[in-house]
Amino acid sequence: MFACLRLTAVLAALAIPTTVYAGEPAPKADPAEAIAALIDKHISADWAARGIKPATQTDDAEFVRRVYLDMIGRAPKAPESREFIDDTNPNKRAALVDRLLTLPGHAGHFAAVTRAAWLPQTMSNFQLANAGFQFENWLRMRYRDNTPADEVVRRILTVQFTVNAQNPMFRFVQPVGTDPDNATLVGFYQANEARAENLGSSVSRLFVGVRLECAQCHDHPFAKYTREQFWEFAAFFAEMNPLPANSPNLVGPIQPQSDKNRITITNTEKRVVARFFDGSSPDWTAERSPRLELADWLTNPNNTYFSQNAVNRMWAHFFGIGIQDPVDEPGDNNPPSHPLLLEELAKAFVDAKFDNQALIRGITRSQAYQLSSKMTHPSQSDPRRFAKMNLKGLTPAQLFDSMVAATGHREPGFMRQNQFNFNQQPNNPRSVFLNRFASNEKVTEANTTILQALMLMNGQFITDVTSLEKGEVLAAIVDVPGWDTKQRITALFLSTFARNPSPEELEKFTSYVDRGGANNDKKKALADVFWVLLNSPEFLFNH
Amino acid sequence: MLDSLMSRRHLLRAGAVSATVSMSGMLGKLAMAAEQSKTKPKRSCILLWMNGGPSTIDLWDLKVGHENGGPYKEVNTTATGLKISEHLPKIAMHGDQLAILRGMTTKEGDHARGTYLMRTGQLPGAAGIQYPSIGSLVSKELGDPKAELPNFLSIAPQRFFAQEAFGPGFLGPVHAPLIVGENQAFNNNTPMNQLDDALKVADLTKPKSVDDASAAVRLDLLREMQEDFAAGRPGQMAKSHAAAYDRAIRLMQSDGAKIFDLTTEKDSIRDKYGRNLFGQGCLLARRLVEKGVPFVEVSLGNWDTHGQNFDQVKGLSGTLDAAWASLMEDLKDRGLLETTTIVWMGEFGRTPKINQGRGRDHYPNAWSTVLAGGGIKGGQAIGKTSADGTTVEERPTTTLDMLATLCMALGIDYEKTNPSNVGRPIRIVDKPCNPIKEVVA
Repeated sequence: MFACLRLTAVLAALAIPTTVYAGEPAPKADPAEAIAALIDKHISADWAARGIKPATQTDDAEFVRRVYLDMIGRAPKAPESREFIDDTNPNKRAALVDRLLTLPGHAGHFAAVTRAAWLPQTMSNFQLANAGFQFENWLRMRYRDNTPADEVVRRILTVQFTVNAQNPMFRFVQPVGTDPDNATLVGFYQANEARAENLGSSVSRLFVGVRLECAQCHDHPFAKYTREQFWEFAAFFAEMNPLPANSPNLVGPIQPQSDKNRITITNTEKRVVARFFDGSSPDWTAERSPRLELADWLTNPNNTYFSQNAVNRMWAHFFGIGIQDPVDEPGDNNPPSHPLLLEELAKAFVDAKFDNQALIRGITRSQAYQLSSKMTHPSQSDPRRFAKMNLKGLTPAQLFDSMVAATGHREPGFMRQNQFNFNQQPNNPRSVFLNRFASNEKVTEANTTILQALMLMNGQFITDVTSLEKGEVLAAIVDVPGWDTKQRITALFLSTFARNPSPEELEKFTSYVDRGGANNDKKKALADVFWVLLNSPEFLFNH
Repeated sequence: MLDSLMSRRHLLRAGAVSATVSMSGMLGKLAMAAEQSKTKPKRSCILLWMNGGPSTIDLWDLKVGHENGGPYKEVNTTATGLKISEHLPKIAMHGDQLAILRGMTTKEGDHARGTYLMRTGQLPGAAGIQYPSIGSLVSKELGDPKAELPNFLSIAPQRFFAQEAFGPGFLGPVHAPLIVGENQAFNNNTPMNQLDDALKVADLTKPKSVDDASAAVRLDLLREMQEDFAAGRPGQMAKSHAAAYDRAIRLMQSDGAKIFDLTTEKDSIRDKYGRNLFGQGCLLARRLVEKGVPFVEVSLGNWDTHGQNFDQVKGLSGTLDAAWASLMEDLKDRGLLETTTIVWMGEFGRTPKINQGRGRDHYPNAWSTVLAGGGIKGGQAIGKTSADGTTVEERPTTTLDMLATLCMALGIDYEKTNPSNVGRPIRIVDKPCNPIKEVVA
């Protein structure tokens, strides 16, 4: 089935040139096809080598729900699922991804998950929350415009600012110039407390894919990084740490960057000069700042640290687990699951000029992404072989937005704005959800807490949306004239699970409702069914 | 196992009903005692968390006669030679239970960082390892995963600056605190019924619009959906979902809800603890420990006394004194003080030098924390600060030293490791730590 789709796409692509007038350049091959093909090649070779029998391909319902959640951060509404399932276009999966990429929800979801990954401290520290919101807004525009991944990082690293360190407890980063992006991007530095060591470790973790924090205090216990290397990397941000006024004169000739590329290792007298991980150093000049040198080194197409980290993080977004996993702990004791795939995927990403959307389109077309989450053979049990889709927990926003989509809850715009974890507004359901479901867990190991279960069973929001008086979608399904119970049950399933009920489910729930449920009241019995579906793991997880 | 538990509970409920009519609760008490003896862990810990940085120089380590000392006098406690503030007279009656650590010296003077340090033993990295709070660590060691009540309760926390310092970190939400009494603007004028409601578990009661029969059917149907989903998807996520619902339902159906209903306590008892959030929180803590909950924390805020320190600390001392002394007394009466370790601390102390606004500022360099009760050799002060209170002269004590000491008192092996979010095992209390063995009984 899958091969069929791919073949159709290829044939379609082949067919195009015949309609092109002679003399015009042939249309470029879609990089997404090449990306999907190389993923399929490496993943299936690994299955074959290990004797793994992959799960079946998703049906349309499982696919549509997954791809909505991954791409725009919420499950599809019933009409959206229905439309996709009924669509007879053989290319509809790729077409759906292309369409979702154009929706504001895509930029919004990717900005939110990127902010949570890059600046998690802004989710839990009140003083930093505003920096986080601003940075997320900037990211949203980057995803909307599909700004290449290298340019995003380059702009973050080269923003102009000054550091006001008069208050030793709270350094304040101030933008230079009138570019509104500067005012926003300083949030990245503010969120890292304007400390060279924090920025060094963040940039290393986020854009190199190497967690260096442990090396801040001592040589890394399990990897090859030394304490000195940590501080050499942090020294690219030495301008964050102002020197005391009476600092001793440096010995030797004045350097091109003066002190802006050197830093003293905490609790020592030792001063180190900025240097890259690979041991190389920039040719320092007076004109080019340490951060500019770092940006150039980092985003150089030949820097495989950067490209591999970027594709690996994107992979982890869609599969819940990176090819390198954890995404920032490379090392001899933690090799990537598919090293060649990681290399070639990174190379394809560079060839595609760091085009995030090409990467997304490629990954979502791959066989591995389109596998069902249902295990059909024990050989699929290792999540790192990608032989079935991993279950993923929902982010609090994904959960609430899916609740809204399923139930028809009407949310005033102001209730969506600038919500954060610790500022709970008791009368704002979104705020309550974001607080109750906040989690730092790995997305494939999401646990449910007692308070979460209690809220989903008994909370005011769930009570309202599953009541016949206040639940918009429920009331509509209950009141549609001319439907029989089976049609109403089917509609409830489509609203919550984006699928039709199985024959057994249809039979069971229909007979429950037709019996009048627990109270001899068919309408109330339908409300019971809706409540059950909304509390089910099939609704609460991405599968 | 579950079956026998259920039938026991049914029995218990039936017993409680008939008892109210006939036997003054005797049957209920017996049944409850039987249940407790089976599920109760050996040890409990109550953390009294002083949000904002308490002025320990005005509580536990006074500098009477020195210009840094302020206007307060010292009083004797029931332990010979051990003196504390005159504004803690009731706690002074339990001096033989207190081990005051006067040599605390830490490095963080910022609320967020200090809170994280004291509650996890670690410094917050910009985006590093997610360390668990001490409550999560202790409840994981001492708790029963199948217990009716959660193993970690956090009462009235103010997590504004350092939410992660209250969380389970890499131990995961199973070890997260169940939180009550958070996030609303409580003050001394808040009506009692609002406080009573705030101290109850959110969403613990089924909505009134859903009758018992529907609720039961819903749960049956849900269980079938859970099983169908899990059948093709083995692994911990689906299991955790089912387990959380099971525990939530158990909590709803048990007498769990009653424990949070403080209106069942006598007025005289409620008055004794103080009719405020902290006082009633301590009363709730006692009730939870009686039920075998291994870790309960109660927060008292407003210690950030940059101005008018002495007026404010006097008021806060009164709140603390009534609640804590009552807690010790009640635990002792019930024979639970021997198995319940109490730890009192905040994120740092305050400057010995009094500022121009009669306030004190943040000061982590030399301050005090207190351990008391079970596992603690009380009646002593360990460590000593200089005459002006600015430096530690004897037995400097780090956060890790203090946490390791607490673990020893609780019978926890603090060198034991847990797997972390970075794939590296991490000790319950990290190195270097040097527990204060002389305060461990």
